[in-house]
Amino acid sequence: MIKIVIAEPSQMLRSGLACLLRDVPDSEVVFSTDNLNALFSRLPALHADILIINPLLFDYGHRATLRAEFDNYPELRLIGLVTSYLESQQLRQFSGIIELNDDLQRVKSTINLVVNTLQSEGDEPDTDPLSDREKEVLICLSKGLKNNEIADTLNISVHTVITHRKNIVRKTGIKSVAALTVYAILNNLIEEKDII
Amino acid sequence: MNNRSDLSSRLSPKMKMADAINQYHSLLTVLPRLGIPLGFGEKSVEQLCAEHHVSQTLFTLISRVYIEQDYYPSIEELRQCPMADILHYLQQSHQDYLENKFPHIEQHLNTLLEPMDKKYSTLIANFYQEFKKEVVKHFEYEEKVVFPYMRQMLSENEADNVEHHHKSAFQQQHDDIEDTLNDLTNLLLKYIPAEVSSSERVDMLLDMYALSNDIGKHAMMEDRILLPYIQYLESQSHD
Repeated sequence: MIKIVIAEPSQMLRSGLACLLRDVPDSEVVFSTDNLNALFSRLPALHADILIINPLLFDYGHRATLRAEFDNYPELRLIGLVTSYLESQQLRQFSGIIELNDDLQRVKSTINLVVNTLQSEGDEPDTDPLSDREKEVLICLSKGLKNNEIADTLNISVHTVITHRKNIVRKTGIKSVAALTVYAILNNLIEEKDII
Repeated sequence: MNNRSDLSSRLSPKMKMADAINQYHSLLTVLPRLGIPLGFGEKSVEQLCAEHHVSQTLFTLISRVYIEQDYYPSIEELRQCPMADILHYLQQSHQDYLENKFPHIEQHLNTLLEPMDKKYSTLIANFYQEFKKEVVKHFEYEEKVVFPYMRQMLSENEADNVEHHHKSAFQQQHDDIEDTLNDLTNLLLKYIPAEVSSSERVDMLLDMYALSNDIGKHAMMEDRILLPYIQYLESQSHD
């Protein structure tokens, strides 16, 4: 889930944008505000991924260096919500730009672009092979067990099962259960006869 | 403040077709589907389109989907384009996949699997067959349900007697096709033992990357052209 914060003086824009963002999959607007004080007091607890902010919230003197105000949040990506002319030096601080006349598709693709850089930067190239636990989850998957059944079998929570599954997909680059089953057999984790 | 590049200006109708293809290789698969044969010498995009009765707007539209990652044509652009021709193009693409691209990959796959332990080769062969069945089913659905529906909407503009499908019924899962193709690519790239002929394997992988890219564009055309246009036609017929 991508956590998005909106900082924009106009209520109409805030609500409008939040409304558009509802159609961006796997994302959630966790906080929206019209002023910097509220933003900076809430930001530490929000663990936001993306901040969509109107640079006009900063006075002119700070606008060109506003990225520095977020130095405590190295993970946070900034998207500029641009409602009037800004100098390119100011724009360059943002990972993406949303303009007033952008339609939903444009907003979506801006967010996707920013999210993708987020993920590729966050992903350390994962060269570890599957852990023993991940292998166990994979074996269960290949046998056709559902998440809750795997949780019961291995005596772990469904949440943990999901985390293992995500890691398996990330490490192998394989998404479908059918292909993961092929993987499991190729790697001698299970025998073909074990599959129903 | 708007410095987004406009690629349409880079692929102009006056441009030599050969230059366009040299610059954007992936467009190569588009030409036969539009009925434009190779060997066109120095002719321009414009000349070739006229010669082979291909709408230039259509050619530009398809090319931009291929070239520009985040190109979403507006309804205005779509209205200027002969939609029946797009359906024809998509149908030609299906045929191209089934008659050329997939058999080609199957050929590679068979050669690749032959020296392998039967236990493993059958497994991968079955996986591939299942995948292909899904693809065929998906194409058939489009050709038997989606395309005729749109043709009907196009022919009777106030489509009152057309039975309205819920548009979400068309939100198809070509994502699944791409995902499965990527799964297969990863299996072949990473997990098949090294003794299998590497040049055959490299050829096959190159073909699969190309196919995956092309199917991705095909899906984009359906998502960004076909579905929005169907929704537009539906909204018109309700007024």
